[in-house]
Amino acid sequence: MIRYILKRILIMIPTLIVTSALIFTVINLPEGDYFETLAAEMQAQGEKADMSRIEFLKKEYGFDKPPVERYVRWVAGLLQGDMGYSFEYQRPVREIVGDRLILTMMVSFATIIFTWVVAFPIGIYSATHQYSWGDYGLTFLGLVGLAVPHFLLALVFMYFANIWFGTSIGGLVDPAYLNQPMSWAKLKSVLEHLWIPVIIIGAGGTAGMIRALRANLLDELQKQYYVTARAKGLPPGKALRKYPLRMSLNFFISDIGDILPSIVSGAEVVAIVLSLQTTGPLLIRALQSQDMYLAGSFLMFLSFLTVIGVLISDIALAILDPRIRLQGAATK
Amino acid sequence: MTQRRRHPTRRTALLLGTAALAGASLPRPSRAAPFSGPVIDSPFFAERVAAGTLPQAAARLPANPRIIDLAQRGRQPGRHGGNIRLLMGDQRDIRMMTLYGYTRLMVYDDNLELVPDILESCDVEEGRIFTLKLREGHRWSDGSPFTSEDFRYWWEDIANNKRLSPGGPPQALLSAGEPPVFEILSEREIRYSWRVPNPVFLPALAGAQPTYLFMPSGYLKQFHEKHAPKHELAQRVKEHRVRDWGALHERLSRMYRPENPKLPTLEPWRSTTPLPAEQFVFERNPYFHRVDENGRQLPYADQVTITIGTSALVPAKTAAGEADLQARYIRFDNYTFLKEASKRMNFDVKLWKRAEGAYFALLPNLNAIDPVWRDLNRDIRYRQAISVAISRKDVNKVIFFGLARESGNTALPESPLYDARLAELWTQHDPALANRLLDEIGLTKRDDDGIRLFPDGRRLEFTIETAGESTEETDILDLLKQDFIDVGIKIYPRSTQRDVFRRRILAGQTVMSAWAGMDNALVTSDMEPDALAPTSSAQFQWPRWGQFIESGGREGERPALAEVNELVRLYEEWRVSSTRDQRRAIWHKMLAINAEQLFTIGVINSTLQPIVVSNDLRNVPEKGLYSFEPGAFIGRYMPDTFWFDRPETKA
Repeated sequence: MIRYILKRILIMIPTLIVTSALIFTVINLPEGDYFETLAAEMQAQGEKADMSRIEFLKKEYGFDKPPVERYVRWVAGLLQGDMGYSFEYQRPVREIVGDRLILTMMVSFATIIFTWVVAFPIGIYSATHQYSWGDYGLTFLGLVGLAVPHFLLALVFMYFANIWFGTSIGGLVDPAYLNQPMSWAKLKSVLEHLWIPVIIIGAGGTAGMIRALRANLLDELQKQYYVTARAKGLPPGKALRKYPLRMSLNFFISDIGDILPSIVSGAEVVAIVLSLQTTGPLLIRALQSQDMYLAGSFLMFLSFLTVIGVLISDIALAILDPRIRLQGAATK
Repeated sequence: MTQRRRHPTRRTALLLGTAALAGASLPRPSRAAPFSGPVIDSPFFAERVAAGTLPQAAARLPANPRIIDLAQRGRQPGRHGGNIRLLMGDQRDIRMMTLYGYTRLMVYDDNLELVPDILESCDVEEGRIFTLKLREGHRWSDGSPFTSEDFRYWWEDIANNKRLSPGGPPQALLSAGEPPVFEILSEREIRYSWRVPNPVFLPALAGAQPTYLFMPSGYLKQFHEKHAPKHELAQRVKEHRVRDWGALHERLSRMYRPENPKLPTLEPWRSTTPLPAEQFVFERNPYFHRVDENGRQLPYADQVTITIGTSALVPAKTAAGEADLQARYIRFDNYTFLKEASKRMNFDVKLWKRAEGAYFALLPNLNAIDPVWRDLNRDIRYRQAISVAISRKDVNKVIFFGLARESGNTALPESPLYDARLAELWTQHDPALANRLLDEIGLTKRDDDGIRLFPDGRRLEFTIETAGESTEETDILDLLKQDFIDVGIKIYPRSTQRDVFRRRILAGQTVMSAWAGMDNALVTSDMEPDALAPTSSAQFQWPRWGQFIESGGREGERPALAEVNELVRLYEEWRVSSTRDQRRAIWHKMLAINAEQLFTIGVINSTLQPIVVSNDLRNVPEKGLYSFEPGAFIGRYMPDTFWFDRPETKA
């Protein structure tokens, strides 16, 4: 087991190197750079962009150097924990991302818990009551959540929350509390806003999880061991919990790999529509304006988390299900 | 100050004079005679004044503050207090505060005349010698004196410093390519003189994005190589994680974008929030130099807060009553929605006029790389045909409910340079004439669809590109499509992304683009006519020619049309003109050439801009003109004189 884990960790290194090269290339693919975007934007406003000034800034940030040199400098910085500098915010990337991480994690955790709390009972119910009215009704509801575009749902929710409850539009807290320290009133305001993104982001995930759980569970419920256990008089609840449910959880464990990065990146589109100050809109904005260190370093951070997440889910799977062999190829 | 009160005799005055001269080199606060009129301070500062951490209001004002007589301007003098809430879509939008504050050395007044604002006076001789006089006792927002030293610091240590300004002083300070002779006459007087007149100088100071001639030297010296001790500077460079002192200075000294809350300012409100933030709070500047006729120090509102969110949500948030004053990110197509919401919420929607020469114009690219298209675009008959093929009335009716003006891209009626003949030139809808002109060019053959053919067999069809900012643009183009089919031209509207759009035009890949006309059509003869001649690569009708002039001939192409060369000549003549009559004559000529030649084909202007204003906010004009230049959007209407008529604001 330890050898397996070590091997997996070693494989992560080349993976990350390739990822970093890919990220850097893709971000540099569009013509131009942040400073030209800036110039274009200023001109759209009627402001004059001083071209000599743009040249000056380019040199200032090393954009006159060849891309390979910039890549090496970027990666070297990353290795020392320096995520580079954001042109747009004029601050180190780490500070900008750091400020938004807490909010993002709050939304993501709430969403994950919401998804689980809703999806598990529904999934189990619809598997055990296959083709009943309840099954049809609940899965239909789940599918609606999956099918309706999130941004549309977000707009509708926001509108009615404002009309009916007077909740301020967008954001995670009433504007009045923005620069204030945490207090009960502020927390209440956060909770008042939080349910909208949680339900919307959770809706899609819930539907997916219901489907997967239902299908897996149905599979297990038809197997011999379960039928035998029931025939021998094991109560239905216990029979379900003891084996089929555990067996049907594999998909769930392997999902953990994806959960980790999504906790920090959040749901971008919904966050933009709801104007949440999470990391999602930050990343998209950075990609649009070619604020390359901000975008690149953050993407790199996400891929690092994905790699870690996959490792964790692999280990968890091995523990949960002894049938999974670690040295599949070697023992053949 | 004690010296003042003693009523000096001639002898002591002489002594004092020498003392002042000797003291001029020492960094000490200038002696300020307090403002003698009645002063009303905002209760906002009451505590700090009582505690002694802030001087009395009279001592904070310059000896001769700028008095804004509101009653005379048909507005009401107001009360102190309140917080103006604004919504913005981007961190960079905090520069709107520099626009809304509109505090400049010189400013445009209601008649678009240049009047001193920060300056007490400005004396101009022969259009080439400018003597600027500061107000006695004027201070920065941190209380440090604002003197000629701040001008010297900028001129010597910034504009002429190789590290901070590798390109040298800004364009507005060059006349016939030469920098001015800079002199400090006293602590309050500065002189710039050129050999030839420099008519750009004063307008540049009053610009929405002004040329700053001064910087808070007291604060900034600690970041300048020449003034700060080496080890301390090295320490600061390290703290801020920048490359060297130059980068540090450049970052902390931005006056246009108030990103550094520590940087002293002269604007009505000063920033208190470092980047990044969801909400920026701007607090009243205790040393602001304007008062109303009752001696009440402006601004009336104690605070301005800017909440940053998604720009697309701004109309919705405004409708939910989350802004007290909102124009940015609101467009005419939000009007009905906002008007409906205003019945429920406590706000009103005013309609101002936008001040572009054309809200929507077609720009044939005279620098297209395809020779066939380039030659066609350069043919005046073709441009005329395009112009008369358009039914401007339909555009106005369908998109703007008939509330805009059908006009060419030229000065607005509100401008003293307006000429109705030029505005109407080639704006009639006359498909027959368009067909005749196109036939005359030799595009007589048509294919089965009725589309005209080039001699080489290609169809007269092309894409018109837009920057993809608004659906209005594509809606208008969809309307124009049919107009063009009627004269045998097929167009394909296509929206791209702004910087891709710009690059394609500059590279000559775009045949025709849709964009706004002159940014500023509220022109006076004292404003630079740079929009009428090729001066920038961002002019989409002749990007390469503009680039040529802009770069002094190093990049781009030399203009190759006689009329365009005439515009360049006129523009250069204006740049060294010394009298207003001369300038007016040049402006008229340039406007006429542009209107006759149709280098830009204006479709519609004077479209309406909704301005959402809280019902409690007084002094916001019912009608106004909305544009970046020269109005600084709402800056020219002085938001520092807007006040809240609410019980909690103090009389």
